[in-house]
Amino acid sequence: MTAPDAQVDIASRDRVVQAMTTVLKRLVERQEPITEDMHMADELGVSSSLGLELLLEVEEQLGIQIDVERMRPDELLTVGQLATFIAANSRPW
Amino acid sequence: MTALDAVSVYTPAFRVPIEDLADPLGLTDIQVRLFRRFHGLDQVRFDPDRSPDGLLRAAAEGLAELRGQEHRVRYVVHGRAMPVVVPYPVNPLHDVCRQLGLGHALAFTVTQQSCASGLLAVDLAGRLLAGDPDEDALALVLTGEKAFTRHARLLPGTSLFGEGASACLVSANGPRDRMLSFVCAQRGEFDGEFGDREDDFQRQYRPSLAEVINRAVADAGLALDDIRLVLPHNVNVVTWQRLCTLMDFPVRRVLLSNVPENGHLFCTDAFANYRTARERDLLREGDHYLVATVGAGAGATFSAMVFQH
Repeated sequence: MTAPDAQVDIASRDRVVQAMTTVLKRLVERQEPITEDMHMADELGVSSSLGLELLLEVEEQLGIQIDVERMRPDELLTVGQLATFIAANSRPW
Repeated sequence: MTALDAVSVYTPAFRVPIEDLADPLGLTDIQVRLFRRFHGLDQVRFDPDRSPDGLLRAAAEGLAELRGQEHRVRYVVHGRAMPVVVPYPVNPLHDVCRQLGLGHALAFTVTQQSCASGLLAVDLAGRLLAGDPDEDALALVLTGEKAFTRHARLLPGTSLFGEGASACLVSANGPRDRMLSFVCAQRGEFDGEFGDREDDFQRQYRPSLAEVINRAVADAGLALDDIRLVLPHNVNVVTWQRLCTLMDFPVRRVLLSNVPENGHLFCTDAFANYRTARERDLLREGDHYLVATVGAGAGATFSAMVFQH
């Protein structure tokens, strides 16, 4: 389940958003800006396998391990929702 | 009530690290890292020296309970994922039946439910035995096939297939491992002939599997918490982790340790995981356990079977 905002470190979340948008632009070959309110599947065309590739690259860029077993993909629809989850459910490698 | 009287599994000793499969399967570096990090794959089993009938025979020869009982075996059902695995007129099933002294049995193969065909074979064996006038009649269910092409070895972004085989002696009224329910949902709408449905299939995969699991548990007269152990198909780890989150079922009660050890062994996963559960003493007399699998090929089949040990 997505963690409440109150438990998320703002600076960590900002780093996650930055890494996600950088990786996403390359994965979906998009020139235009990617914003937090964008729906990853419907607006950016992120499939479940591409979503895992996104998680792996974010992990490697930030040196973190994401607690994927706690993810409920159906509740993490936008870039911002996934960033919040990652910031709240990851730890350093 | 259909019962599993004995189960034997053959898994080759030869294992290949997934990194070594990158070149032959045309996998990129990131695809290999994804398989390792999220899908939980480590190595995949192959037996370059055994033909299809050799794999089946290796499993059947480990079935000590079959010896001396060959005359009671009326049916031999091969559950297989791939529709065509040898050139005409070679027939590995008939070959192995002759080698095992089972030439008298009615032998046939089911592939219609792809990797779920192993459970289908168990169900069919039970139905045939239930309709047989001989109460002592037995059926032999075999699984096992070669991962012989790139298509057979790789489910892109999802899993890597290996080789193994199983032999399972089924009776109509056996005392152990009795089947309490079987639910399967055949979903023809996912057939690639009707267009690219991959994204939709991926989205519906976990909810559809959860639905047949819940139905199988209910049909067995149980609640999900009554299931001591789930014997999964070895598609990958992350799918089962997320399915457990979706179902509020503890992932520690899903036997996932063979995913990194074996890879996905087509229809054999359920039986290999059963043997592992027995060897580790994870099932006590009276325990309820559930076997679940998904077959994806021409359409998709979601299956779940509940047993009492």
